[in-house]
Amino acid sequence: MIALHLRLRPSTRRLAVAAGAVALAAVVIAPLSSTDAAQQAGLPLLTDRLWFRIATTVAMFVALASAWNVIGGLAGYASFGNIAFFGLGAYTTGALVSNLRWAFAPALLAAPLVSALFAAVIGLPLLRLRGHYFAVATLGVGVAVGEVVNNLGPLGGATGLFLPILRSDLLFFYLMLGTAALAVAATWVILRSRFGFGLLAIRENEEAAAVIGVNTIFYKVSAFVIAAALTGLAGGVFAQWNSFINQENVFAVSDNVEMILMAVLGGAGTVLGPVAGAVVLELTIETLAGGGSAAVYSQIGLGVLLTVCVIFIPRGVIDFFGGQSRLSLGYLRRTLRETSA
Amino acid sequence: MESAGGILPWSEWGHNSVSLLAVNDLGKRFGGVQALQGVSFTVQDGDVLGIIGPNGAGKTTLLNCVSGLFRPDRGDIRWQDRSIVGQAPYRIARLGIGRTFQIVRPFPSMTVRENTAMGALFGQPAGRLQPAEALRQADAVLDLVGLADKRSHPVLRLTVPDRKRLEVARALAMRPRLLLLDEVMAGLNQVEVEQALEMVRQVRASGVAIVLIEHVMKVIVGVCNRALVLNLGRPLLEGPPSEVLRDRRVIEAYLGERYARGGDA
Repeated sequence: MIALHLRLRPSTRRLAVAAGAVALAAVVIAPLSSTDAAQQAGLPLLTDRLWFRIATTVAMFVALASAWNVIGGLAGYASFGNIAFFGLGAYTTGALVSNLRWAFAPALLAAPLVSALFAAVIGLPLLRLRGHYFAVATLGVGVAVGEVVNNLGPLGGATGLFLPILRSDLLFFYLMLGTAALAVAATWVILRSRFGFGLLAIRENEEAAAVIGVNTIFYKVSAFVIAAALTGLAGGVFAQWNSFINQENVFAVSDNVEMILMAVLGGAGTVLGPVAGAVVLELTIETLAGGGSAAVYSQIGLGVLLTVCVIFIPRGVIDFFGGQSRLSLGYLRRTLRETSA
Repeated sequence: MESAGGILPWSEWGHNSVSLLAVNDLGKRFGGVQALQGVSFTVQDGDVLGIIGPNGAGKTTLLNCVSGLFRPDRGDIRWQDRSIVGQAPYRIARLGIGRTFQIVRPFPSMTVRENTAMGALFGQPAGRLQPAEALRQADAVLDLVGLADKRSHPVLRLTVPDRKRLEVARALAMRPRLLLLDEVMAGLNQVEVEQALEMVRQVRASGVAIVLIEHVMKVIVGVCNRALVLNLGRPLLEGPPSEVLRDRRVIEAYLGERYARGGDA
């Protein structure tokens, strides 16, 4: 029962843990040592402020994809409204800092609370819907909240909201990394708990879950609230980091689609899948963002790749690291049957 | 016919004893279709009640009302003398009512053992289990239903009879006091029906009351101490299985009037 989807062989597991620890240590220590030491060593990658921007963005999407995974991957409810939680978190922190002159720290803590509360309120009616009805309804919520905020004068209206600039690449990198770590840890804990098994049962067959004693509504709303809190926290960090927020940069539906793609491509319902998906996809997008006509073709290539992956690797690339599946013709044939059924 | 073995015949219950389950004047309508009307029956500890009737008689609708998936339009359902109408399915489950689905509903990405453990993890009236203990209890249940050697199989590799066994296993893992079985023996061959009958007898012997929907008459006669016949949503007849199955109205409902007339000769 432990880790239903990622059954690593012990040797693979030890290797994965070791590799993960080294990677984590590198990620945490590198920026610390980079600013001075790397400058002297002349390592352009580490001294470049671009490195921090990309690394912070990647960490943000790890958090967003992992948070989406709690409601979309574990409970099986594909939410297109998580961007509302992100935007609400951003505007909560933004308004508290900018309008009410709060310090950043308490303003940041308020962000997940507001987003979670909002999720609880809309979750009760929305989580009665299933499948594409739920997806469309949450999409509507995301757009609607963005429009409301866009028309609220005290929140800057269409102009957006400016926050006093806090110039510290390190601070925001670590805050995003911390948010990402929190989201991943939360998923890990949930997947090993009674609560997590209840969510999986709901995903696999909701009526069967109900008649064996799973309090489906409470479980679904809880998963939605947890996802919202994590997403709202990331939004709060983003607001101060970017020091400017408006409808376009914190309520973008395309960002919501990106969270879903990352979780699904990496492996929805697993702990590490969304992490892998977010790192790979965001780095690819950042690389392609260079511009020029090559970027356009690369974007097309990315689109094709995504389509092919969804059809042939529905359980995500993480499926190949479980020791049970290998990428082979037989695997592709099986998954094609699964996705086209 | 299987002897009722120490259980009072259905007609002789004392009025002072509280029924495990008491359904009274139940009605349920879907648009223009009256799926259930005026259905009443009781289930006592130790009972095995068979519900029979042609397709569309309302048998599954009845189970759905009892397990809380449907809310009846009229009538009452009482569990140990307390009404459970309008309660959420998970609450009814934890009161001690387990059920299976006619069209099986396993959790597809889980193994046989994990599927079964889910019943133990969430459905037990006694309270919360930890996952490890739920898995241990699942093993015991899998022994009973004959799936022990397939416990680590993914569900999608199971045959239809095995999937039906798994439905029963998951419900049994809830340690229910009443088990609602919806056509668990449909589609089984002779040998498999015998095995399933033996399983039902064992479940009954362990102190679980059973309500089972079945078309296989051998099952009704073989394990039930009472049978209730539904036709077009209404109760047609209730009584000992051997008598019910001989009744002219029952034969008519199942096979048509002409057959009943011919059968008389």
